[in-house]
Amino acid sequence: CQKDLLTPKPTTDIPDWEAFTLKERIANEATGLYTVMKNGKFLGGKVLIANDVRGADFVNLTTNNVTLNASWKMTAVGESQEIKEIWSQGYMAINNVNVFLAGMAAKGNAVVGDSLSKIYAGDAKFVRGLSYFSLLQLFARPYWDGAGSKLGLVLFWEPHTKLGDYSRARSTVKETYAQIIRDLDSAETLLPKLTAATRFAANKGNAYSAIALKMKVYLQMGQYDKVLTEGAKLIAGSGPFTSPGGYALEADVKNLYIPKYAGKEAVIYMPFGASPGDFPGTQTQLGYYYSPASVGGNAEYALSPAGIMGDPNWVAGDARRQFILPVGARSFLVKYSGPSPYLDFSPVLRWAEVLLIQAEAKVRVSNTVDPTAIALLNAVHGRSDPGTVFTPASFANADKLIEVILREKHIELLGEGNRAMEIIRLGIPFPGKSATVLEVKPTAPNYIWPISSDELVYNKLAVDNQ
Amino acid sequence: HRTVTGKVTDEQGSALPGVSVSLPGGKTGTVTDAKGAFSLSVPSDAKSLRISFVGYEAKSLPITGESLGTIKLTADTKAISEVVVVGYGTQRKREVTGNIASVKGTALANLPVQSFESGLGGRAAGVQITVPNGVVNNPPVFRIRGVNSLSMSAYPLIVIDGVPTFSGDVGATNAPLNPLSSINPADIESIDIAKDAAATAIYGSRAANGVVLVTTKKGKAGRPRVMYDGWVGMTTPNRLPKTLNAQQYIDVKNEALANAGDTRRYEFNKDANGNNIDTKWMDVVYRDKAISQSHSLSVGGGTENTSYYFSAGYTKQEGILKRNDFIRKNLMVNVDQKVGRIFSVGTKVSYSNEASLISGSSGSLEGEAFSSGGLARLAFLTSPIVAPYNNDGTYNTNGGSGIGGAKGGLNVGIYNPKILLDLDHSNTEANHVQGSVYGQLRPWEWLTLRTQYGIDYILMNNDVYANNKNGDGYSANGDATSTYTQYKRWMWTNTAQFDKTFNQHSLSVLLGSEQQRDQRERYGIGRQNQMDPYFNNSEGGWLTDLSRNMLRRENYLLSWFSRLNYNYKEKYFVSGSVRQDQYSAFGEDKKKGTFFSVSAGWEITKEDFWANSKLANVFSTLKLRGSFGKVGNYAGLGDYDALSLYRPVPYGERPSLYFSQAGNPNLGWEVSKKTDIGISYGFLNNRITGELSYYYNNIDGLILFVPQIPSAGIPSTSAIATIPANVGKMYNKGVEFSISAAAVTKKDFTWNTSFNIAYNKNEITELAGALDKIPFVTSSLEQTSVNQVGNPASMIYVVRTNGVDPQTGRRIFVNKAGEEVFYNPIGAVFSYADGKQAPAVGAKDAVAYKNTNPKLIGGFENTFRYRSFELNVLLTYQTGFYVYYGSLAGMKDQRYWNNSVDVLDRWKNPGDVSETPKVVYGDNISNGSSFAISANAFKGDFLKLRTVGLTYILPETALKSIRVSGARVYVRGQNLAILTRYPGPDPEVSSNGNNASGQGIDRNTLGNGRTVTVGLNVNF
Repeated sequence: CQKDLLTPKPTTDIPDWEAFTLKERIANEATGLYTVMKNGKFLGGKVLIANDVRGADFVNLTTNNVTLNASWKMTAVGESQEIKEIWSQGYMAINNVNVFLAGMAAKGNAVVGDSLSKIYAGDAKFVRGLSYFSLLQLFARPYWDGAGSKLGLVLFWEPHTKLGDYSRARSTVKETYAQIIRDLDSAETLLPKLTAATRFAANKGNAYSAIALKMKVYLQMGQYDKVLTEGAKLIAGSGPFTSPGGYALEADVKNLYIPKYAGKEAVIYMPFGASPGDFPGTQTQLGYYYSPASVGGNAEYALSPAGIMGDPNWVAGDARRQFILPVGARSFLVKYSGPSPYLDFSPVLRWAEVLLIQAEAKVRVSNTVDPTAIALLNAVHGRSDPGTVFTPASFANADKLIEVILREKHIELLGEGNRAMEIIRLGIPFPGKSATVLEVKPTAPNYIWPISSDELVYNKLAVDNQ
Repeated sequence: HRTVTGKVTDEQGSALPGVSVSLPGGKTGTVTDAKGAFSLSVPSDAKSLRISFVGYEAKSLPITGESLGTIKLTADTKAISEVVVVGYGTQRKREVTGNIASVKGTALANLPVQSFESGLGGRAAGVQITVPNGVVNNPPVFRIRGVNSLSMSAYPLIVIDGVPTFSGDVGATNAPLNPLSSINPADIESIDIAKDAAATAIYGSRAANGVVLVTTKKGKAGRPRVMYDGWVGMTTPNRLPKTLNAQQYIDVKNEALANAGDTRRYEFNKDANGNNIDTKWMDVVYRDKAISQSHSLSVGGGTENTSYYFSAGYTKQEGILKRNDFIRKNLMVNVDQKVGRIFSVGTKVSYSNEASLISGSSGSLEGEAFSSGGLARLAFLTSPIVAPYNNDGTYNTNGGSGIGGAKGGLNVGIYNPKILLDLDHSNTEANHVQGSVYGQLRPWEWLTLRTQYGIDYILMNNDVYANNKNGDGYSANGDATSTYTQYKRWMWTNTAQFDKTFNQHSLSVLLGSEQQRDQRERYGIGRQNQMDPYFNNSEGGWLTDLSRNMLRRENYLLSWFSRLNYNYKEKYFVSGSVRQDQYSAFGEDKKKGTFFSVSAGWEITKEDFWANSKLANVFSTLKLRGSFGKVGNYAGLGDYDALSLYRPVPYGERPSLYFSQAGNPNLGWEVSKKTDIGISYGFLNNRITGELSYYYNNIDGLILFVPQIPSAGIPSTSAIATIPANVGKMYNKGVEFSISAAAVTKKDFTWNTSFNIAYNKNEITELAGALDKIPFVTSSLEQTSVNQVGNPASMIYVVRTNGVDPQTGRRIFVNKAGEEVFYNPIGAVFSYADGKQAPAVGAKDAVAYKNTNPKLIGGFENTFRYRSFELNVLLTYQTGFYVYYGSLAGMKDQRYWNNSVDVLDRWKNPGDVSETPKVVYGDNISNGSSFAISANAFKGDFLKLRTVGLTYILPETALKSIRVSGARVYVRGQNLAILTRYPGPDPEVSSNGNNASGQGIDRNTLGNGRTVTVGLNVNF
């Protein structure tokens, strides 16, 4: 007999006892923190798609529940595939972080040394903060509802690597935001302050992208003064608004929508590659959902004439209208034009959004027709529609300016995973979409998603929304 | 010493050369010469001689004088019925203390099935075979005495000529490949189904689901016997669902649109002649007649020292789904050779080439139920108002992946099934080699030493193509995958068998050791963006290369085992076996397990008090027996499931590694404790025989893939993360009864009848700690089933419905709290009877609704012979279970989907009483498409006319002149009729294949066909 055959070592995956023994391997695990997060079921696709199709800019064409028809109809339930998938994939990203941090503390820090272990810890917290933030937007009432007192997420910091009872109650929205901010503050300190020359290669977090993300987090919380505190660290000049980290607007908006975009405007993008596992999985790819057949997609969703596409304020000559492709009676969004296997990077946060967040916060804080806000608005708008230049005279009051900034963001980020987040943050209703899909008021239970039914079945301490 | 002489002949008086003549238990012996004569010098105290010859019953003769005269040996025709195959040996039936059901190979030889086990249904008590759908070469659901595992495989262990083989679907395409179909059923001598611990424990950790021992044919001494057997047949689809025609479709959908406040309307499309298009998609997808044929030729023969059997077979069987075929070519050789007096060697080699062919997903295999291209569903879903082709003869597409012909933004279907059927393929070709060699040393009559080395290699090529015009391959501009898979198993078994009889004590002891190693390797390439429509395989012209389906795994099983059989006067029997296994896939300290059985038997008729009573005139045999033992199961466990792993997956073209699997270092066997008590009986000189048994199988430490709280973030690629652990408990208990009778045995007319019935009760008594239920999700999408403490495995798990409100036509759901909730599809509003809005009803309101495990199963077989005619009729039945007819949810779906004719009876006006709610366009909730509902659960009880065979035996006189020693022609019908109230195609169905946690689900599955064959069997 051959006793050693009784303890075979897998040759295609690495067993846990080997995980924190080698410097190179730990470096790969630090990158792997992002890999779990960029899965097509999470930030690599479905989180963005869910946020867009819950809004009113798209029309569902295939009535297929696997491609979020129920979410589009605002009838998604805890058993719906997208809800279960996003919930569990998000938490896998979070637990992967926790397992990594524990493994580093136990073994890995000694292997890689102090300076690298700090950076890796920064990566871990950046990923965890962003993951919690993305889940919170879909599965919890907005912060304004009871000042964060409603049910937030189940928060974990401990690693889960084996069988156990991990039942835990949901924290409040406020507590969840506090955790997100803690993680991102920590990431800001730990991650390197990359320069314009080094920043774009890795598609990982850095001190500046942590700051930018915090601006969005504070915006969702309605804490505009804190948006400005963070913004001050990041946004330099009075136009063209670059950052010390090298972020800047692309001169031509068209340059953003090329496969594998990793230019100056990308703050947080989920990258893909042509190797299996490196591109999003079946029915999670942005291009598959939105592009018509002629552009290599599956035409799951067309643009709705009743959505932002039909807004007369979005002028015909606006360069961003070139991403609307008419096919027969329908119009499709063709921002993601790379064909299968769909390598267009998934845009989680880009510089134009950061500028518009800053603009809105400026107005909200000062409650005036803020000239810097107008300059920020013009920077974004002017790129696509140089003929329209906003001046203080364009706005009767601060509210009008905010309205235009919000519309600008709506147009600019169409199909980039921001719409539902924006709606719930503002506390406005989800518009009706058809004779049977009616308006959803902010007080309605389906204003936000229920949490995963699996969570309710197995976590005896968890309760659903409402 | 003295010399004893004699002559050995057969029954006809012909001399038998080469017959062994020996002293029992001793070395002394000789063989008869060419004239059948022998002369042997024996010690003066020798009392008897043993005369033995292959194919004849051995005789023991008292040495009455120097010449024993002419000794007639009778042919051992009862060999099969008298001997049962047990693990690592054979046993005389009357000595068996375990529960073993035997089925002769002839019962299955020319059935129109792909693999032998598909034909076992109804033939043995307690054996349940469910042919899950009409896709050819799909493994049947195979259960012995109920379902004995939840997360692991519940399939029995299949041992072919001593070598355990692979089972299940081993292919990697939409065409299933059952490795058991590599055996031509015509090559099977016998199948012995071991059910209790006494019979199975020698297989230790793999025995909990029962063990099926298959013995292939060997040559018999005498002149070569040549046999040809062939049949051709036709299969037709049976009980297909009835769907709306174009006019009905337009009426129903337009009513639904109007009810939804939608102003769009469906309208007829015109064909090239200006007529309304009305496509019967069933006719596009199903064959109206599928043709099958099978031919096998065998040669067997032997001498005293050599026996051989060769066979060759060819079969091609078409499924009822177009483009679904199974083709097998097989060869088999069995050779046994004696070398000298104490040594023998032998080999068995079988080779088969099997092709399972299909265009793409039938929607019927495990995990396929909701495939966009699932053909069974497309056949009932696609609107009849569009055609496969445009009027100019081109394929009808919407310019993208879907079917075209929709107007006004209204959909008409998913994919065009005609294009998938014409252009796609998903084929598995297997080269399957099973073989073994053995050497056997028998230095004394009482000792047999044997070594056997066996292999089982399945080398497969999986060839998949999805076209670039329509369907799943569209968005990739064509997609081809080739995957090469190899399953390699070797095993080496060494045994020593001691047999000793003294003073009516008979003792036999087996000692053995065994090693088995499996290696699995798989690699593949996927190619996308075809350069030209000409290409349809991965070797052609493409722009994109992708690696796919990579896998490399191994496991190892190291064992020793022993068995002891003892009987006194063939009246009292005691037996015990023990096996220790060590298996690589378990946790570090859990690799070793010990299994055992003890059993006893009592042949009452041999007691004096009985033999002297009048009862002896009635009973020819009455044996009480009982057994208890502990066996295990790990079938289906992943080779590295105990380990925690990190997986390398690139991140934007950079190396990365993440925590991908949480293992369980404490993972060990599933343990079954089996108790069996039985009586086997024979009346009237064994004209009536049968068995009655009671069993109780207590399964402890069930391995469950314990679902983990999603927020815990345990890694997983499936719907919910799980970690395997030995936590659950379940039992099966039941009673089996069988009776066989030679009811009439006249010269010209005989009637043999046999009947069996088995009652089984299954109950889960514990899941993981406080966790009392684990839902099961069909094809990762629809929650349909639940394993719940206090209930049988795999209950139908649905939201209850209380019909349709006659006043408003709304579906009435019953929520978890038992309250009636009315659903209005407009705005998706749920409300109570008083109009108050209610929380949305959904899968969370599901209850464990009905049992899917049949309470009673069995068969009733009758064979009538009148002169040269033989009529065989087998009925099978199952009762006491429900089936979830999920396809009906689709067939009542109020999106663009075509509907069942049931919808014609829909609610229209206040006061209407209907099973079908008011139709509202877009409504996929009221009829069960969004979550499973009780309105779609039905009783599955059935009685099937499984096979009817009429055989005519050609008269010998007519055959002699053409040198044929026997010939028969036959007509057979398979699945000719079914008596059931189940509304779907067939209550014998499983959308989840052999998965024990999701049985009894009929979701978008292809029905079974009805087959008629004619055949010819000739012996030369």
